[in-house]
Amino acid sequence: MRSAHLKSMIVAAALVGSVAAGAIRAQQDVKVSHTSLKPGDMAPDFTLLDNQWKQIHLADYRGKKNVVLAFYVLAFTEG
Amino acid sequence: MAKLEASDAVVFGISIDSPAANNAFAQKIGVTFPLLSDMNRKVLKQYGILKMYNVQKEEYDWAQRTTFVIDKQGVIQSVEEEASAINPNNAVAVCTKLPKK
Repeated sequence: MRSAHLKSMIVAAALVGSVAAGAIRAQQDVKVSHTSLKPGDMAPDFTLLDNQWKQIHLADYRGKKNVVLAFYVLAFTEG
Repeated sequence: MAKLEASDAVVFGISIDSPAANNAFAQKIGVTFPLLSDMNRKVLKQYGILKMYNVQKEEYDWAQRTTFVIDKQGVIQSVEEEASAINPNNAVAVCTKLPKK
């Protein structure tokens, strides 16, 4: 009885291990996560600090302005 | 940029840089629009545009260069990735076509 329990625990641990390994492999394969957002989707809301340490809420612009979000790689680079 | 503002749009740049770095960057290149700091990559994950960059054999996840145009109802009107996201003319064109109200 005891050994059967131990056995099932080992099987469970092996399963968790292989699933985790698979997840890591999958992550390594996918270098770029392309956005799944497309025209017609609602833009997810966010709050971020701007370069004057002021909070910017995307939702504040709803009903007022069109918004262009330009994601760039790093400051001080061509990116 | 003036064209975008004329089309009733605000522009935000977003990266993983700190507000301090962004402010120095803004002064250096003379941008007039706010640069937002997504230091914990929350918005990058929300928008699904993290990209792995290999720097000296270490991997870093930073933003994939992407431009989104969002209308006044909060609906995404255009998504441009990589090379086409560099040229703002398309974003201007999309904004200009959007209804004024």
